[in-house]
Amino acid sequence: MTFPDFTLIAPQLIVLAAALLVPGLYFLTKNDKLAGMVSLAAVVASGLYLGWMMLEGVEGSFLGVYAVDDFSLLLTGLFLIVALLVLLASLKSVERDRHHGEYYALLLAATAGMMFVACAEDLIGIFVGVELTSISSYALVAFRKNDPRAAEAAVKYLVIGGLSTALTLYGFSLLYGVTQTTSLAGIALAIGSAPSAALYISMAMLIAGLGFKITTVPFHMWAPDVYEGATAPVATFLAVGSKKMGFVALFKVFLIGFVAAQATVVSDMQYLFAVLAAITMTVGNIVALSQTNMKRLLAYSSIAQAGYLMMVLAIATEYAVIGGLFHMITHVFMKGGAFIIVAALCYISMGEKLSDYKGLAKRAPILAFSMLIFLFALAGVPPLAGFVSKFVLFSSAVGSPGAEFGGQWIWLVFVAVINSAISLYYYARVVKYMYVDEAETEERIKVPMSFMAAIVLCLVAVIAIGLYPEPVIKLCEAAAAALLA
Amino acid sequence: MTDYLLSLVLFTPLVGAVIALFMAGDKLKYARWVALVFSAIPLAISLLLVATFDKGAPFTHSIGWIETSVLKIQYLLYIDGLSLVMVLLTTLLVFLVVLFSWEEKERPNFFFSLILGMQTGLLGVFMAADYFLFFIFWEVALVPMYFLINIWGGPRRHYAAIKFFIYTHVSSLVMLIGIFALAFQAASIEGWTQLSFAFADISGVAFAQGFQVLVFGLLFFGFAVKMPVVPFHTWLPDAHVEAPTAGSVLLAGVMLKMGSYGIIRICLDVLPEGAVAWQIPMIIIALVAIVYGALACIAQRDLKKMVAFSSISHMGMVLLGLATLSDIGIAAGAFQMFAHGLITAVLFMVCGIVGHNVGTRQIPLLGGLAEKMPKYAAFVMFGFMASLGLPGLVGFVAEFNILVAFYDWGLAEGIVWVIIIALASLLLTAGYYLWAMQRSIFGPLTDKVDVSKVHDVSVYEGVSLAVLCGLIVLFGIWPAFAWDFIFPVASDLAAVLGVI
Repeated sequence: MTFPDFTLIAPQLIVLAAALLVPGLYFLTKNDKLAGMVSLAAVVASGLYLGWMMLEGVEGSFLGVYAVDDFSLLLTGLFLIVALLVLLASLKSVERDRHHGEYYALLLAATAGMMFVACAEDLIGIFVGVELTSISSYALVAFRKNDPRAAEAAVKYLVIGGLSTALTLYGFSLLYGVTQTTSLAGIALAIGSAPSAALYISMAMLIAGLGFKITTVPFHMWAPDVYEGATAPVATFLAVGSKKMGFVALFKVFLIGFVAAQATVVSDMQYLFAVLAAITMTVGNIVALSQTNMKRLLAYSSIAQAGYLMMVLAIATEYAVIGGLFHMITHVFMKGGAFIIVAALCYISMGEKLSDYKGLAKRAPILAFSMLIFLFALAGVPPLAGFVSKFVLFSSAVGSPGAEFGGQWIWLVFVAVINSAISLYYYARVVKYMYVDEAETEERIKVPMSFMAAIVLCLVAVIAIGLYPEPVIKLCEAAAAALLA
Repeated sequence: MTDYLLSLVLFTPLVGAVIALFMAGDKLKYARWVALVFSAIPLAISLLLVATFDKGAPFTHSIGWIETSVLKIQYLLYIDGLSLVMVLLTTLLVFLVVLFSWEEKERPNFFFSLILGMQTGLLGVFMAADYFLFFIFWEVALVPMYFLINIWGGPRRHYAAIKFFIYTHVSSLVMLIGIFALAFQAASIEGWTQLSFAFADISGVAFAQGFQVLVFGLLFFGFAVKMPVVPFHTWLPDAHVEAPTAGSVLLAGVMLKMGSYGIIRICLDVLPEGAVAWQIPMIIIALVAIVYGALACIAQRDLKKMVAFSSISHMGMVLLGLATLSDIGIAAGAFQMFAHGLITAVLFMVCGIVGHNVGTRQIPLLGGLAEKMPKYAAFVMFGFMASLGLPGLVGFVAEFNILVAFYDWGLAEGIVWVIIIALASLLLTAGYYLWAMQRSIFGPLTDKVDVSKVHDVSVYEGVSLAVLCGLIVLFGIWPAFAWDFIFPVASDLAAVLGVI
């Protein structure tokens, strides 16, 4: 018997080990700072190891459950960046709370779950990862348990999350029943020959179950309430981390399992995804127009962004996957940056209403400028990262290089473009508050270094990717090729 | 060597914008000097380019930028005769606007920074030779204008700014879909596995006629909103009325030209069959814009709003010239872009001065200003005369040639009478200008507003206006100087269009 090669999942194991270590350390030392620092160190160490794996071009499969390839490496790295940003934002945000050990342990466990999903090549692997992240994040949302808003959000999230898990699991079990395998590659082989009613039901369950995670309309209702109730770093984690995980899971199940098989049922599902994508982006953007709370506004904007990403599942070409992955990457920095600014301003008790942002440009020029860049990037204003990724993603609805021009998804690009224009309205509104309106006080705002580090990281990424996207696009190309191989 | 001059002229203003932004606190008073220097350099370089331009060999500058297995996007700059004239207009107007706004008191660092930032966007549009790059600059030019209107504008500035932003953003996005269609179809026809966005690659592709008609519509919509033509013009009067003078000058003087430039550079060049199919609709739209704009002018009480509507009318003239698809028509349309840029700058500057010095721009409240502000009155008269097409001034040359081309077209189509519609608008134009002049600067001095402390045009304003007026005369009596740059481009286009 050969021993499995644990080095393949070493990045995940490092994070998991830290998740187990941190509460113990905290219990022994009672040192608030240590828990955060050890977590940060673990994420950085894991990232360094991952970087080495990327440079070496490591590939392989761990017991047929976790695959290491260009796709999983890229996504694992992306989730580590999310964890890094959230940790940086957390260091100060939770300093006045108790239970630091538990907080960081949950955050690391949730990160490990996402990283496992990135690698999974088996339904069980996907499910275990999704659950690890979900259960950890229920507790994270409830972290400030004495705050009624947090408690309400946590209960809501738990009930809806439980339902979505049940649906997902039911979908997986039906899928197993139809195809007799839990391996994605095996499903792809088995499915073409066996379209059946059970398969349709299974897919409907999966779309509903994972749809909760990615906040597809009509499964989106929980998101604004939960983001509003949770602490801002946790909201960041949910919006840019766990949502991406839902997408990765959907990409894997549908693109590997179904689309690659060219099954007859596929085109029906593609239509469903196209309609859901159109509805999701439209509802997200239109409801965002009337929001007065910054977190809720960003929540609805996240729903809209999920709609854009769902186009990938409808179009399902390699070019679309490139665009989708690219947009996921840029979205982490744009939305992550915006949320972290909100977190920083919450930390100094400035409030999270839009009107609290009046005159921010005078009170905190760097923060206001960063927010401006993130919001314009989200709206797709060039030459920022969000523009380039939307450029690739939206254009995939028009065609695919080398393939015939046109096709059934051209209407989607019109929907997406109109939505993009609508979104500019509410982003510009925030910008107006910051730059045009006068503040009630001229008092300067000082934000702790750890927040600034995260914000500047996002800012540099958003501008640099916008000006020189080539390396990132190449990574996405390799990842897309690996996913659809 | 000249390669890098192109990038230099393009990015010098951006560098200036960043430097000006940091002139805060006690360095605030240096912001305008930064702006002056960093707008003078591009002007000097563009004059140098004009001096060394060789009609057979356009300037180009190319650097690889994004090259992956699916995308090929290059940093490609290109200046031919048409671009050169527009670049010169942009650098000139920005320089004069900086001078005109010399005494700006409110957040001058941010103000000048935005103007310089916008200059890079505007210049980029006229120089880009890659669709991706073109689109980036197209959008970059919008953002500073949004802030200019929103911060330094009039009472309804928030509404006007967001309306401007949304309207033009929607139109850009529709144009973007057209660009996607061009790139994908070109790749599909030529069998490229890489999407290329270079003008040169795509203009060589023979697109099917149906495709051309469709995509021409998408692109034309994007450009038409920007020009703007009726019925997509409603953002313009609002934006102009609320915008600060500097914003209005650049908006009408240069930004509107981005639309007509796009029609020449992209629609006519890449989609000739689409252009032929769209000729009649374009002519109808142009005539409606010309007449509607002129009629709307008569009804205006606000001097600035009147000038804004006159821009719609004059940009309709541009479209009329282009829509004839003949060499003279296209060249005259492009020349009108240049002419209107100079004239409208004068008009918006005088509107700004009266609004600032007298405190109102309402024509019925004004009157007899010539008595208190003789220099101002002279500039107003000159600007109005230039705009209504007085022979000897630059506007006459442009409009005369457009009408000649349109007459030729009517003759060929057997509907010569349509020329009457265009000619009638000239009459209306003369009417509203003379009437406005009579009411605002002549007659007895107004007693409806307090004019006892009103002072005349300041030195900085006077210098900017005088330079513009000088150029209006110069190009009026010696149009060949600009015409000779533009005409070869137009005749190349017309040669392709004529074959269809």
